Amino acid sequence: MRRLALAALCAASAARAGVSVPPEARGNALFDQANAAYLSGDTSRAVAGYEALLEEGLVSPELETNLGAAYLRQGKRGLAALHLERSLFLDPSDDDARADLLEVRRGNVDKLEGEVEDGGAEAVSRVLAPLPGRPAAVAVVALWTLGWGLLTANFLRPRAALGTSAAACFILAGAAALVTAGSAAAHRLTLRRAVVVAQAAPAREGPSDRAASHFEVHEGTALRIEDEEHGFRRVKLANGLTGWVPSAAVEPVVPAGWSNQHRL
Amino acid sequence: MSRRIGSALAALLVASAVLAAEEVQVSARADADEVALDGTLNLQITATVSSKGDQAELTLPDLKDFDVVSRSQSEQVAFTFLNGAPTFRRTTVTTVKLAPRREGQLAIEPARVTYKGRTYTTQPISIRALPPGQTPAPKARAQATPPPPLPDPFTEDGALDPFQDVHPQSRDLVLRASVDRERPFVGEQVTYSLYLLARVNVSGIDKLQLPRLDGFWSEEIEAPQQLVGEARIIDGVPYRAFLLRKRALFPLRAGKVQVEPAEVEVMTGFGMLFSRSSTRRSSQPVALDVQPLPEARKPAGFDAGNVGSWTLTASVDPVAVAVGQPVTFKVVAQGRGNVRNLALPKLGQIPGLRSYDATSNDKESIEQGQVTGTRTIEQLLVPERTGAIEIPSLSMDVFDPAQKTYREVRTDPIRLEVHAAPANASVGSQVPAQNLLAAGGLRPIRLRMTRASVEPPPWTRGWFWPLLAVGPVGVALVAGAGRLRRLLARDPAEERVKKARSAARARLRGAEALLEEQRRGSGSAADFHAEVARALTGYLADKQGIAAAGLTREELGRALLDRGHPPGTVRAVLGVLDECDRARFAPGGSDLPSQEARLERAGRLLGELEKVRRSA
Repeated sequence: MRRLALAALCAASAARAGVSVPPEARGNALFDQANAAYLSGDTSRAVAGYEALLEEGLVSPELETNLGAAYLRQGKRGLAALHLERSLFLDPSDDDARADLLEVRRGNVDKLEGEVEDGGAEAVSRVLAPLPGRPAAVAVVALWTLGWGLLTANFLRPRAALGTSAAACFILAGAAALVTAGSAAAHRLTLRRAVVVAQAAPAREGPSDRAASHFEVHEGTALRIEDEEHGFRRVKLANGLTGWVPSAAVEPVVPAGWSNQHRL
Repeated sequence: MSRRIGSALAALLVASAVLAAEEVQVSARADADEVALDGTLNLQITATVSSKGDQAELTLPDLKDFDVVSRSQSEQVAFTFLNGAPTFRRTTVTTVKLAPRREGQLAIEPARVTYKGRTYTTQPISIRALPPGQTPAPKARAQATPPPPLPDPFTEDGALDPFQDVHPQSRDLVLRASVDRERPFVGEQVTYSLYLLARVNVSGIDKLQLPRLDGFWSEEIEAPQQLVGEARIIDGVPYRAFLLRKRALFPLRAGKVQVEPAEVEVMTGFGMLFSRSSTRRSSQPVALDVQPLPEARKPAGFDAGNVGSWTLTASVDPVAVAVGQPVTFKVVAQGRGNVRNLALPKLGQIPGLRSYDATSNDKESIEQGQVTGTRTIEQLLVPERTGAIEIPSLSMDVFDPAQKTYREVRTDPIRLEVHAAPANASVGSQVPAQNLLAAGGLRPIRLRMTRASVEPPPWTRGWFWPLLAVGPVGVALVAGAGRLRRLLARDPAEERVKKARSAARARLRGAEALLEEQRRGSGSAADFHAEVARALTGYLADKQGIAAAGLTREELGRALLDRGHPPGTVRAVLGVLDECDRARFAPGGSDLPSQEARLERAGRLLGELEKVRRSA
């Protein structure tokens, strides 16, 4: 349906323009239209426009932020939280998305009590996420390889400068490796993060509708996916509460298309 | 005089008596002898019976050559005293309107009237059916007295009378198509009307098929749901004119255009009582000569769709706004003409204003038979700086077909006052309140989009860890290769040392071969001794590093002693070398047994020299 809406919008735009429109310009035009709808208060049209862009495979932190804001205006706190989390995954330095996410969480139904069992994984993840993991990883490879190259040269033709340079490369590579490790840890934690998108979902003792339920989770609550089986996901809340909820009730922050890695 | 009156009364009484005796009189007549195939004629059957209560029963003849268009009946009862007794005469007149089915000589068979068990018949009537459109001879048709002319409701000022050239002649049903102007401009409205002219009772229409209006943009003006007739006198004959359709046509291109005929099926007759029949009718084609827009004083870049009488206005709401807050810019074109083909001016880029795509909304209406419309274009503008921003005037050229001139319509420029946004204000607080935004704090959305990469991080790639191993592995390979190279490298001197003994043994075997040749009588003793000497000196050179050829015997002896060889062995070596020299340069001084002994001693000396080497 959304693809049809996008196709109709694009066809109308193209017909009006009378020329073929490149996909990027088309995407920007649709983004502008969705923004205009949002600003004029037509959040349904705005959401349809943003979702159509996502269906097209577009990945953008601004798109996720705006979609989260539009969902929040529609009162869909779960979906709002999900897309704001995704925005932060794509751009951890986006303060606006972080502020909007806090706004969403203030209205969450679920209030967690008890000690934080996951060792503040989310806090650690939040701290480490802004680290430039990708360039640091590339730097690790480059500096490490260069260090070993200089060391080899020093073995073949010993010179003081070569040895000093090799040592500097190894030190810098070590620093970059620390950054990379931090970023990798944050990434690993984020891969398991999820948000409750259903208004309410019973958390059961097993992956079955007949299993007993001792508590319920509500939309917007962040949790961690531990396992998946028979249409249920085993989730763990930050305070250690664990249960099986229907798969459709929770959505991972990092969708399958964004990462080829196994989540669990 | 009284005699005359008396005779007349007597005759009347006699006649009355005769009529009374003839209880039933039936007759039939047609109002024309000839009729066109697309015309009708009236068949009138009169039955008169002398009865008060009983009625005659009429059976129409088999009208296989005619269609019954309509049927009506009237009845009259006369009451007279005849010879002092009351007499009733009931006269029933049945009128049947007939349309011929084929050309040629047709016959209307006798009608039958049954009264009190007896059957009476009328006489047959012969009718000649003419081809469609032909006019029957005047005498063949009974002329009705035309009623006084009625006011003509169809003729309007400046428009063509749709029936001015209509001559239906004998036709009772005529489908008439007309246009209000025959030489319109491109884009000018032409009103196409379709009328049904009838002088018979029309109970309904069916299957109205309008022509294909290729080359026109058309709009419905009037499509009556009920047939409402207007009186019209055409060629002195009263007709009822029914408007079936009225459409506005806007020619899309210049040139001669023909609107094809329309078709309709007309049902005639009266409701349920009498049989209804249907007749198909076609209108005439309508020719138009569409004029191109005049080239004289035509503005450059004129859009051919802007034809009509139009006005243009623009507005902004609100006119004072905080920076970042949207305003709605609206351009409205209003007037008479084809609004759907109208091309409105577009707002260009204005510094300080971010504009979004415009939305267009058209509204059409019909006013006094003319298509009027309003096109509204709304555009969202977001000011990006404070201060006054002027939205410039927009203009549009239009061609007014009524005035046959081009003119320019334009909007007034609009001044937009943009002030700074109040502190801590958010976009969310400006929109209509919604349930979950009461707390506020929602940040403004992003207006520009960047693409992000969702490639897996490098450390999850297959190449990452092997690439890290490249450095250490490379260094290990370099080190290993050096060591291997050293291991595999061969020193010629060393090689010679290793192979010294085997080389010396090989030479001694050669000397033994030479000795064997001497035994057969062909060898040379000098060669034998030279080979033995080479075996020893070669061994000493390779193994001991002593170039014996360049040394005196004393120097050779000292060198061997310096390397730790026993003095006895040294003397024996020197002795063998001396014997060899003597035997080589003093032929005949050596027999075979002494050569064998020398060969054996040389072999033993090599072993003794080797022992010292090993122990060293």
